[in-house]
Amino acid sequence: MRHIVTSADFREGFAEMLPACVGLIPFGLVTGVAAANAGADFFAALGMSLIIFSGAAQILASQLLAEGAPVAVVVLTCFVAGLRFLMYSAAMAPYLKPLPPRWQNALAFLLTDQAFAASIRRFDATQDPRGGALHFLGGGLALWGCWQITNVIGFLAGNLVPASWSLDFAVPLCFIALVAPLLRTPPALVAAASAGIAVFALAGLPMKLNLIAAGIVGIVAGTLFDFARERWPAR
Amino acid sequence: MASALTLWTVIVVVGTLNYLSRLSFIAFFSRRAMPPLLARALRYVPAAMLTALVLPMIVSAPTLHSLATPRVLAAAVGAVVGFATRNTLATVTAGMTALWLLQAIIH
Repeated sequence: MRHIVTSADFREGFAEMLPACVGLIPFGLVTGVAAANAGADFFAALGMSLIIFSGAAQILASQLLAEGAPVAVVVLTCFVAGLRFLMYSAAMAPYLKPLPPRWQNALAFLLTDQAFAASIRRFDATQDPRGGALHFLGGGLALWGCWQITNVIGFLAGNLVPASWSLDFAVPLCFIALVAPLLRTPPALVAAASAGIAVFALAGLPMKLNLIAAGIVGIVAGTLFDFARERWPAR
Repeated sequence: MASALTLWTVIVVVGTLNYLSRLSFIAFFSRRAMPPLLARALRYVPAAMLTALVLPMIVSAPTLHSLATPRVLAAAVGAVVGFATRNTLATVTAGMTALWLLQAIIH
């Protein structure tokens, strides 16, 4: 265990995730407040952040439970909101394939938007499964720890950060920090632009299905463009 | 207000489904070869999915009027810095500073 935590890859993954952790503070506080509003006691609120470990799912579940929605509706809505994890899991699969199953099982638990984007960049850059896994573990644990702390504070103390600070804007900025560096190749640009248009064009879909639908539109567009470029290279 | 039983049912079921979604294809492809077409398409998951997630956080519906807001302009500053530096801390700092400045100018 000690050699894991002291490894350079683990420490780098942990340190690189700290700015994203700061960005998640307002999100974590709001999620803790939502659990309190749903009538959760301390342990249920802690259970949500420890076990569900997904801001979108926790907030949706809290809001729906506060409105008295049936359990089946809550479960289905949260599952749909988490459909993108299926895509992250597939995209991560080739990189985690060389690792033992217990590493795959542990890292899967830490698979979030932020950890996914940060670690796939690392795997791509180094092509080192073991180092990449340690980097993923470091970043994933940093996010997980920060998430527990901010959720508990939000539950106990309410939303401490004044809205006028606009700290919630740090969440989209963290995503921008992950996606902007990817936009260096034409197919990636096509994928992002198509997804961006589709997410607004499909905004009428229920249960925020436009997010996953737009993701699929972007992936298909990027892949088709990639093939077209290979078939008909620019002269 | 939900009862303790309802809450814990939701926590366990949603938590389990969430974990199974995250594990799904990692486990599935750990013993099988991935079709080359799928492997190629999956390269575009980060660019497409993260863009689809982030844009609605910045603007609810893009119109000419809604595009000239401090949030959109600050996001553009963040995107330029993120593209150039590939650094999360620099992106967040630049974007937040731009947002605070723009909000101070408008008020």
